[in-house]
This record gives sequence, structure tokens and C-alpha cells, in this order.
Amino acid sequence: MADELTREFLIESMECLDRMERCLTELEQRPNDAALLAEIFRSVHTIKGTTGFLGFKRLEKLAHAGENLLGLLRDGKLAASAPVITGLLQLLDGLRAVLKTIEANDNEGQNADTDLISQLESLQVFEPVAEPVIVAAVGSRPKLQRKKSPRLRSAQSASACAARLASMALDSTNPGPVPITVLPSPTSSASKPAPEDAPDANRSRPSSSGAAESTIRVDIALLNRMMNLVGELVLTRNQVLQATASDPALTLLSRRLDMVTADLRESVMKARMQPVSNVFSKMPRLVRDLSQALHRRVRLEMEGQETELDKSLLEAIKDPLTHAVRNALDHGIESPDIREASGKDPEGTLKLRAMQEGSHVIIEICDDGAGISAERIRVKAIERGLISAERAMQLPDRELLQLIFVPGFSTASRVTNISGRGVGMDVVRTNVEKIGGKVELDSRVGKGTVLRLRIPLTLAIIPALIVRSVGQSFALPQGALSELIHVPCDKASTAIEWIDRSPLYRLRGRLLPLVFLDRLLVPGTERTASSDCDRFIAVLDAEGRRFGLVVDGLADPEEIVVKPLNAALKGVGLYSGATVLGSGDLALILDLGSIAQRAEIGLTADSETDITPENLASAESAKATEYLLVDISGHRAAIPLAEVIRIEQLSASRIEYIGRRPVLNFEGHVLAIEDCGDVLAAAKADSSAQLIVVVCNRADRHVGIAVSHVLDVAAGADLLEAGANQRAEGATLLKDRVVGIVDIGKEMPPPSMNFTTIDGKRFAEAVQ
Amino acid sequence: MSSSPGPMHCSKKSAVWFTEMCSVRLGKTLFAVPIAHILEIIGSARPQPVPLAPNFVGGLIHYRGEVLTTISLRYLLDLPPLDHPQDILVFESVGGCFGVLVDSVGEVFTLSSDDHEPNPSTLDERRKALFTGSYKLKGSLLVTLDPERLDPLYLCAAQAA
Repeated sequence: MADELTREFLIESMECLDRMERCLTELEQRPNDAALLAEIFRSVHTIKGTTGFLGFKRLEKLAHAGENLLGLLRDGKLAASAPVITGLLQLLDGLRAVLKTIEANDNEGQNADTDLISQLESLQVFEPVAEPVIVAAVGSRPKLQRKKSPRLRSAQSASACAARLASMALDSTNPGPVPITVLPSPTSSASKPAPEDAPDANRSRPSSSGAAESTIRVDIALLNRMMNLVGELVLTRNQVLQATASDPALTLLSRRLDMVTADLRESVMKARMQPVSNVFSKMPRLVRDLSQALHRRVRLEMEGQETELDKSLLEAIKDPLTHAVRNALDHGIESPDIREASGKDPEGTLKLRAMQEGSHVIIEICDDGAGISAERIRVKAIERGLISAERAMQLPDRELLQLIFVPGFSTASRVTNISGRGVGMDVVRTNVEKIGGKVELDSRVGKGTVLRLRIPLTLAIIPALIVRSVGQSFALPQGALSELIHVPCDKASTAIEWIDRSPLYRLRGRLLPLVFLDRLLVPGTERTASSDCDRFIAVLDAEGRRFGLVVDGLADPEEIVVKPLNAALKGVGLYSGATVLGSGDLALILDLGSIAQRAEIGLTADSETDITPENLASAESAKATEYLLVDISGHRAAIPLAEVIRIEQLSASRIEYIGRRPVLNFEGHVLAIEDCGDVLAAAKADSSAQLIVVVCNRADRHVGIAVSHVLDVAAGADLLEAGANQRAEGATLLKDRVVGIVDIGKEMPPPSMNFTTIDGKRFAEAVQ
Repeated sequence: MSSSPGPMHCSKKSAVWFTEMCSVRLGKTLFAVPIAHILEIIGSARPQPVPLAPNFVGGLIHYRGEVLTTISLRYLLDLPPLDHPQDILVFESVGGCFGVLVDSVGEVFTLSSDDHEPNPSTLDERRKALFTGSYKLKGSLLVTLDPERLDPLYLCAAQAA
């Protein structure tokens, strides 16, 4: 282990190099920026000075060679051309490698770095400075956005407000959901146009020396321990609060304990927060190197860099983010000529966005590249034996896209040294899920791909609603909860409706698919046994799936400390952890996304547009629509669920006829009945027969559709017309069968208004 | 622990070593677990069941601020589940701590390697996977359990195989 002095030197030098790296990528855009050059020169000079003092000869030699080159640049004798910058970046990598060796072995190793030094010397050949620098020649012209220097404390304080809001959201013990969303300001420093003569370096200097006095370095292990202890304290507080609730003498004391604990937790959390720019700042270099290697032209845009995230989480997303950027450049953005041929800007755009959404931070990696073809994934997946051919045909595109997260899956036709070995996306998902996050992927062929990483703000403590089912307590993360519905026992049988085996609830006129927690957890729980008591429906939005979770009872909302479960229980897939409640009981934390998936709740159309950023939010938003699957005289047909108002069962004798047109007196209104399958004719013979009429709404008109049976509610997938690669109109893939969609607009020939009114009158007479 | 009661079969040979074993009872059988592996013993606990968990999982308990997964030894030995609280042995493994539910924890024996014999070939394969052999006591046999083979991760992998 290195001594104290060397360790400090290592940390400072690493910081110097990080700063230098950022400056170098910026220098490429503004090769004549003297301030930038001065800053770079200073970094190398500092390292050189200290190494001489500490006796690291190898490092000193290397830094010296770099300093010579930089001196020429600073004095304006040499232009910062692309080869020079590449050389300087190599110097930076060389210095970093030596520092790493020192860190590991306590000595700088034997390598003499002669190659690198001679390369740096060869770059010192004088070039006429007047000539413009050909940055475009390297194939990339990244218009990098100016980043905020991490030394600038203002960055911290600007986002401190966001962090405070966020922790307030976490802190509140209100029963309802806490949808506090802190929107990142679009006019963040990241999107600020880069001033030509930025006195950035000069500005950051004095503030950095000031910051050095008011800040100290703290070991991460110590911070982790503090966080764990605070977690324990929160648990104990919860127990004390419950135990003293009935004792007025202790209430005051426990209230104070409550407040102090909350403040302490917030402070410790804040101490661990760092802006995402710490990770984002590595990206310009990565994009620069990759776009040169791959001959792409990429513009990197970064937004929301001041968004803060827990230090350990920030570390954890570094790798996934790097992989995602690699993938976007290698597989996403096409080479300039291909882009031009398909009518796009030859320069691709890679957008990194960070924003806070409640108790989560969203990081988006969007490219405007080729997108991912679901068809190609289907073919590859079958080829690699990941899924069977029939299964591949049944899967909707959206779920097919998820296959790219399977280990060993790669659609790249060739393996490059950058990606294509099929590990990338797998690593992204595993790493993000390891920290309790989620990965979402959305892609449009020819338009681009959006990868969304959803990272919890903090790992340890989340607000949750405690519910009861099968005689146990479970914790529902409040982030997903949108409302609670009480179903009294006497109304339970009518409020919860059934279509075959699928329970539904009418929530403000829309049918909400339900999941019974007890039936899910203990298969075989009787339907009758559970319907004779009070029920509660928790309306949830989990990963774009909206559904109601039916539970037996509700307890108080609590701030819970997430405890990991043994890996052996991960296979169950329904729990994301466990927690100790104030009462001392244990509660399993439900993984709502998995529950929705297990129950085959489809993705709702609303959330789909929500995932897509503006540039991709094209008209084709309703991809996985839910349909009501019905049987009309032996034929299957689908009615978009969004258009279904209610399903009415009535005796055939209630159907009346105006001329040849069947109508129904429906709550005092005339409802035209569409009978496309002669269902009415069949029922006409037997007046006691029961009919099922699905009442639909299309363009403010109500239409009834006579059906034989209602079968199911299912998410439909798009079908492509054979050979045309176009979405087939009027048909969808439901439960692996092609089903025609009942087009209400078409079924109802636009009847002239007077026709209806006249008939309406006549109808009224007939009724009287 | 060296003063703990129990039969001592001292031998004159030099290659003999002594191990301290904790005895646990399940049904009518006595089992032994090397005491060096036991982190802690928790008396009469009622673990909370985990719906849909693998059968061998006995439930969860709160253990020193952590949530501990327990293994039902009764299930592994094909014994019917018990209604009353059971004792828990806490072990440490690579995947974190885990608990093993036993009917009751008995005395600690200091046993000589001389008296240990490997599993008989006639033993059922499933048992062979759990037992490492047995000590010959005066009136009975003390079957030794390998804590590593009770690790939920190991059991998970074994079940999948």
C-alpha cells in the first residue's frame, strides 16, 4: 500500500488527468482557445512537478515530453490538429496507466515508454499555424457541449434544490402517492452554447482552492456504513413510533426522534449524492474515439448533467452507460454515406439525458440511427435457438426487442472490437437490475433507438404502502401506486366483473384488469372464499402496465428499509426484497413489474408514448393495444378495449326494430345495434334467449355490437401485410391467432343525421 | 467448550484430531454440525413463509437488521412440517447468511476423528448428498451434516440439476 503522501498525489493526479481529458475533447472544437490550452498545460506541469519531488522518474519523463509539446501549442507555434490531440490523449492514457501501476505495486514499473515519447517528439514538427485546423478530416465533428467543471460548487448547489425536493418525496409519510417530479431545467449549463473565449479555467481556479478548505475526502466505505446505520435507525424509529403511539408522555419525545432521524437520513443521503456529470464527462472522449474508429460522424448532446444520484449507483451505471454508448455508435448510428443515402443528416446525434422522476433518475441514451428491426431479431433468435419458431411468431415486436438483453444475443452481422459479441446489452441489463433499476428499450426502424435506464435515487430507503394478503404483510413501492379503491364486501361481487377467468374493474368508465394477490401467491385459492370480505384495489402503474392489485387489507404507509433477499429466492421473481416493519414483522416487497408480467397485463398505449422521447413520438403510438376478444357466431373478432364502454347482457326480446334496423333502448337513448354475424337472427326465434351487446364509443357515437360470447381481454400485436412490410389494417395478432378488428366506424355506415332523428322519433312513439 | 460433557474416545494414535460438534434433533434422529461453522443459534423462532418460494425454504426471519432466509431441514429429510416454533442455526456462506430450521438444539460433543465413518453405500442418494458421514457414539449414531450443502444457493442449483 502506498504511503499517505503518494496516495494523495495519486488522487490529485487522477483528477488532473480527468480535467485534462475534458479540456482536450473541447480543444478539438476550439483549437485556438488559449484558456483551455493553459489549463491542459497546467495539469501536465503539476504532475511533472510532483513526480520529480516524489522520485517517480518514469512519470516525470513522460510528463516532460508532453509538456514540451504543450508548450509549443501554448505559445502558438503549433496548431492543435487532430493528430496532436490524439497524441495528447495517448499521453494522458500513458500517464494514467503509470499512476495505476503505482497504485497497485507502489512503484512505477520498468517500461520506458520510448514509443510514446518519440511519438510525442515527432509531433513537435512545426506546422504553419495560420492554416485552418482540419478537424473534419478525422471523420467526426462532434459538437460537444460545454460541461460544468466539477470543481464549480455552484453545480452542486443548483442541484441541491432538486435533491432536497427528492428527499422530501421520500420522506413524506402521506398515504397517497407522492408524485413529486423534479423537472430538469432545459436551460441547464449543458445546453448552453459554448462561449468562444471561455475564461472557464480561470474561473474554476479560485473556487477550487476555496472548496479545498471547506471540503474533506471521506472514504466510501465509511459513507456506506453510515447509510446502513441510518437505515437501522429508521427501522428502530418506526418501531419506537408504533410502541409509543398510545403514550402521550412519550409522543413528544418520539416525534422529536422522528424529525431528527429524517434530517439525519437526508443529510447522509445528500453526502452520498453526486451529479451525473461525473459519469457523463467520460462520454465525449469515448464518443470521439469510437466515432474515429468506426468512421462515424456523431454529435453528442448531453442534458441534465446536474441531476444527482447516489455515489454507489453512479459507479454502478458507469459500465452500462459505456456499453450503451458503444452499442449506439456501432449498431445504431450508420456511417455518413449510408445516412446521406437514406436522406438523413450525415452527422448522427447521440443524446444523453438525465432527469429525475419522483424517486427515480431516468437516463436516456437516444440515437437517431438505424433502429432495431424486430424481424431481424426474430430471425436471429430462432437461429440461435433462444426461442422456438412458433413462439417467435407470437411475440409482439416490443417483447421481441427485449430479446437483445439475453446473454449471447447480437444482431451485428460481424464481431468488431467495439461490440457485436453479444455481451453488451446483457451487461447493461444485469448491472442496472442489480441496483434495482430497470432498462427499457424502444426502437423504430430507420428512426433510432431509445434506451432508458431507470435508476432508483437511493437503494436503501423507499416509501411503501403495506398491504395484507394471505395473512401476511407485503410492501408496495409507492412510486407505482396511483390510487386506492375500497370495495365493500356486499359490493364485491358486483364491482368486480369477470370475463371468463379475467377479473375486471370499471374505473371511471374504463375497464381495469385486476390481479388477485392471494390467487397469484397461493394458486388454487377459491374464488368464492375470497369474495365475502372487504377488498381493496391498488391501482398501479408498473413499467407501463396499468392494473389493479386486489388485496385483503391496507396498513399504514411506511418508509421501509430495503433488505436484499437470498439469491435462492430471486427465482421466484415476484419479490424485490424484504423489509422489517415497525411492528417488528417482516414484509416482502412486491416487484410490481414482474407481477404484471406474470399476470400477462399488456402494455398500455399511453405509457408507450410516454417512453418515447419527442423525436420518436410519431403517430404510431398505439402499438400494443388491448382488445376485447369476442365470438360472433363462431368467428373471433376483436374490439379495441379503449372503445368499450360496457358489456350488457339482456334478453333478446328487448331488441326492437326500426324498419330492418335493430335498436335498443339503452338508458333512455336509442342505441343502434350492429349485427354482423346474424346473432340477432339466431336469437329472434327464441324470445327468452340472452344476448350480449358490447356498447362501444367511437367518435362520440355509441354503437352496440351483438356478439355470441365475450372471450377475453388481450393485448394485440401488429401484423405485417405479407410482402408489403406495412401494418395490416383491420387485423391483429391476439393469443397467437389472427383476429379481425371490429371497425366501428365502418360497421356503422355514417347514417345521415336526419335518418337517425326521424327514426329516433318514430322509435320514441313505438316505445310509448 | 472443551469442558463440555459427552463421550470422549481418546486414541493413542497421533493422527487423531478432535472436533466440536453441535447436536441437533429432527424427529427422532440426532444430527451433528461442526460448531465452528455456526454463527449463532436462535431459539424458538417462527419464520414468515414466502409464497411461491422453493419447497426447501422454511421462511424469513429478522436477524440483526438483516432478513435471513431459512432452510427447512424437515422438508429435506422428508419429515412432516411442525406447528410449534423451531430453533435456527445461522451459517455464513458466500451468498450471505442463511438459517437452518431444526426441532431443537442439543448438547455440544467433542468427537474424535477415529469414531467417524463415511456414509454407507446403502444410503439413499438424496441423503448421501446431505450427510458427510456419522460418528459412532456409545448407544447411537450421530449423523454429520455439511452446512455447505444446506446453503440455499447450493440447494437451488441441486434442484435445478
